[in-house]
Amino acid sequence: MDWNIYTPRPAIIDRVVDEIPGVKTFYWHFEDPQEEERFRKFLPGQFAQISIYGIGEFPASLPPSPTERELFFTIRKVGTCTAALHELGPGDRFGVRGPYGNGFRMDEYAGRNLVFVAGGIGLIPLRSCIVYALHKRDQYKKIQVFYGARTPKDLIFLNDLVGWQQSGLLECYVTVDRATEGWKGNVGLVTSLFRLPGVEVAVEHSTAFVCGPPVMFRFAIRDLLAMGYHERHIVSTLERYMKCGVGKCGHCCIGVAYVCTDGPVFTYEQIKELGEDI
Amino acid sequence: MRARLINRDDIVKLVRILMREYEVVAPFCSRGSDTVFDVVTEENIDKIQLHVRNPIYPPKRFVLPHVEQMFEFQMSEVGVSAIPTYNEKPRALFGIRSCDIAGIKHLDNFFLGREFVDPYYLRQRRNLFLVNVVCTEIGTDVGEYCFCLCADTGPAARDGFDLQLMDLGDVWMVVAGTERGSRYLDLEFMARGDDSHIKLRREILSRVRHQFFDKQTSWFSAAMRLITRLEVSESTWEKIGRRCLECGGCSFVCPTCSCFTVDDRRVSAGKAIRMRLWDSCALGGFTRMAGGFNPRKAVHDRRNRRFFHKLAYQFVLRDGSIGCVGCGRCAVVCHGAIGMPSVVEIIRRQELGSQD
Repeated sequence: MDWNIYTPRPAIIDRVVDEIPGVKTFYWHFEDPQEEERFRKFLPGQFAQISIYGIGEFPASLPPSPTERELFFTIRKVGTCTAALHELGPGDRFGVRGPYGNGFRMDEYAGRNLVFVAGGIGLIPLRSCIVYALHKRDQYKKIQVFYGARTPKDLIFLNDLVGWQQSGLLECYVTVDRATEGWKGNVGLVTSLFRLPGVEVAVEHSTAFVCGPPVMFRFAIRDLLAMGYHERHIVSTLERYMKCGVGKCGHCCIGVAYVCTDGPVFTYEQIKELGEDI
Repeated sequence: MRARLINRDDIVKLVRILMREYEVVAPFCSRGSDTVFDVVTEENIDKIQLHVRNPIYPPKRFVLPHVEQMFEFQMSEVGVSAIPTYNEKPRALFGIRSCDIAGIKHLDNFFLGREFVDPYYLRQRRNLFLVNVVCTEIGTDVGEYCFCLCADTGPAARDGFDLQLMDLGDVWMVVAGTERGSRYLDLEFMARGDDSHIKLRREILSRVRHQFFDKQTSWFSAAMRLITRLEVSESTWEKIGRRCLECGGCSFVCPTCSCFTVDDRRVSAGKAIRMRLWDSCALGGFTRMAGGFNPRKAVHDRRNRRFFHKLAYQFVLRDGSIGCVGCGRCAVVCHGAIGMPSVVEIIRRQELGSQD
């Protein structure tokens, strides 16, 4: 086959797991083992373009860490292409192009505390960084996760987080905007977790990862800066509508940057200089 | 650069020789005052126009088609084949203007000179032979909306062409811009010129430059400075945005606009195609994401985007050239009179503080 930069590489679904309502995780592998080997060198924070042949193509974060055994996507059903993906099951074929984007520089953060601030399905891209850090635990100091979602049923990867906390590998604080029956945990915005009694947010020699809806992002940045973070040590992964993933179609631009090639990972210092509001 | 002279009546011989190796496309008159690039045949070869209004449909479509098939997907039990569909037909674009030559150069840098090389653009570009015709006639070649002088792209391109033809009056000058263009200078109807022809070329170009209509100017510097520094006020963008009808016309006629969307179509049970088509950041859904969030919902934010991309210094550095070639097409088509020169003027006036 004559492959070019736009060619979707054939992939096959292995199994599908329901996560929170509307969100499924698809475990998959490439048909071509060489393609799989090449792809597995991806960095946390990179993304891929998923093709549903005859329906369309869309970008998706890579939630697995490159150190994990299986490749998977965790996708919310929200439009035409994702709805088509949600119809697929084990053995079904789809296309993958990638990995694209700049990724998080996890090895440069060695020796630092890592503070993750996530809202809703914003935890999905950050999961890659968290697991990477856990697999190289000695390389990092404190790992703190501050996670919030709208309601308890919207909390994704909750079992993983609780398990890691119980193993003493990281500190985890969870909240919901609105409690439902049976919820005994915190209620409030994710930024309210910073002010919980007994919580000491790591600031010195720390890198903060922020990912969530724009409104949450604004408040989280404001609080982190107020705590003493330098703009250079706050990183985020941004999202935009994408059609190509390779810096040509123009849809994902924010000011001077193309999210697909210059990002999707940006420091807050860079975000301020983009020339357009995120 | 090597140059020769050719008689006006022999130009058609050059076209016939090009027709042996290429599908030649040249300017013709269409309905009313319209002009269009069309395929040259023995039937229409005598109707090729050398001095004519620049066709409104921009020649970027010969390297970036309006609608282009990228793949055919063949789906079966055993798997999916993704077969790329390339357009590699050799084509000669006869009569492309200097402003449009600059547009092609800009697109070359964008599609070929960045992190990824676009394989569809590459194949069309290397099979494209460019014959530039210098604009020397005010009123036909140079229209009332032209401002190539402000963009420094014309009336005579300095490079970016394979051959360049210029009307010197009694005779035409032919300049070779590339190796493959140079071969045509040895044809038997090409004559040698002398210093007098070079002098004549300079005089004609000087005369043409001085005759550019002074009502259509685009003094880029101040606008670029304000845009780059993000100093254009929100109310100025709103003033511009209020005049925008969101038709996308400016993007479609612009020689440097390159944004596209990608669409899959099912053809039959086992076959689908993937196409790309021109898109425009003027349109409301350009940045809309599934789920509804649209970071550029307001019209004036989209206008801001267009001119930031075309004029901000960061993009000039990144792309190697300013995103405007001064062809004037946006000014011709815009219903709201916010083509490049108008917008540049509105932004300049913001700084000068005048009301309009």
